[in-house]
Amino acid sequence: MTTAPDEPLARFFEYRETKDRRLRDELISEHLGLAISLARRFAGRGEAVDDLEQIATLGLLKAVERFEPERGLAFSTFATPTISGEIKRHFRDRSWSVRVPRALQELGLRLTATVGDLTNELGRSPTVAEIAARIEVDPEAVLEAMEANRAFATQSLDAQLPGDDRTLGDTIGDEESGLDQVEHEMVVNDLLATLPEREQTILRLRFFDGLTQTEIATRVGISQMHVSRLLARSLDALRQNLDGDEEPA
Amino acid sequence: MTPVNATQIQLAIPGSPEFLRLARLAAADAGSRIGMTFEDLEDLRIAVDELGFTITGGRPDCTLNLVFTLRDQAIEVEGTCVDEGGPFAPSELARTIVAAVVDEYQLEVADGQRRFRLLKRVPEG
Repeated sequence: MTTAPDEPLARFFEYRETKDRRLRDELISEHLGLAISLARRFAGRGEAVDDLEQIATLGLLKAVERFEPERGLAFSTFATPTISGEIKRHFRDRSWSVRVPRALQELGLRLTATVGDLTNELGRSPTVAEIAARIEVDPEAVLEAMEANRAFATQSLDAQLPGDDRTLGDTIGDEESGLDQVEHEMVVNDLLATLPEREQTILRLRFFDGLTQTEIATRVGISQMHVSRLLARSLDALRQNLDGDEEPA
Repeated sequence: MTPVNATQIQLAIPGSPEFLRLARLAAADAGSRIGMTFEDLEDLRIAVDELGFTITGGRPDCTLNLVFTLRDQAIEVEGTCVDEGGPFAPSELARTIVAAVVDEYQLEVADGQRRFRLLKRVPEG
C-alpha cells in the first residue's frame, strides 16, 4: 500500500513540545498523500471521494495530535489505523440507528476529558478502573461510554446545522488546503461564535489544542474547576444547538 | 489485579455491522479484566470490529461466533462464521489496520468456516 515517507521523529517531538500551529500544518500537509490514498480505498461505496478525503484529513489531524514519537513507531504506521478507523466509523455508524441517551453522551464527554487528564498525570494510558474511579462511576459505565463516544461523534457530524442546509460533516474542509481549512471550516466555529469569547477560547484549547483543564486554567488565569464548569456549560449549549429537539435524560 | 487464567467468554451475534457494537463491548470488558489500558482496549475494539466485519462481510444472514479467552497477560479472540463459498479476499487495508493494533492475528477459510484469531498482550510495565 502507499504510505508517506516516515517523518523524522524529531519534528514530532518538537510539535509535542511546542504545539506550534505552523509545524502541525506542515506535518499534516506532508502526510496528506497518505490520508488521500486511504480515503480512495473506500471510494465507490456511495460516498463522494471528496467527502472521504475530508474525513481522512480529519483522521490525519487526530493522528498528528495523538502521535507519541517516544514510542518509536513510524508516524505512517500509527496514522494508518487512525485515519482508516475514522473513515470506517463514518460508514458503519451511519447505519447505526441506536439513539444514545443524553446522560450517556455526557458521560462520554467526561470520559474523553478524563482520559486526557489521567494520561497526562500518569504518563501512560489509564486503565478502565482508574477512569471509573476518577469519574466515580462503575467500570461498566466507562465501557458503555467508550462505545457511546463513537455514536456521539457521528451523530454530531450528521446533525443539521441550525439555520443552515448543511450538516456538520458537510462543513469539514470544503476544499483541500491542509489543516486550517479543515479546522476553520468546521461548523464548530460557527457554533462557537455564539458563545462568549472566553468560552470559545477554552473550548478551543481543550478540544482542538488538547490542553488539559489544568493547563487551560493556568493560561487563562482562572481555577480548574471554573474551566470545568465553563466547558460543561459551553458543551451543553452547543449540544442544544445541534440537537435542539432532544429532551434531557 | 486478580490473575485470570484461560477464562472463556462466548458470544454469538448476527453478521450485520450494527451488531458489532456487542462484539466491541465484549472485547473492551474482556480486555479490562486483564488490566489493559484505555489505549489497548481501543486497539482491541478496532481489531475485533475489523476482523469480525472482514469474515462476515456484513451479511445479516450469517452468525458471527466469538470466543474471548482471557489469559494472565494476554487475550485471544477467535471469530468464526459459515463460509458460503464466495470470494474471501481480506483487503490489504484491513490487514494493515489489524497488524498495527494486535500482536498476532490469522485469517483463514477452513472446514467450511471463515475464521480469525488474534492475540493481544498486556504490555509490560
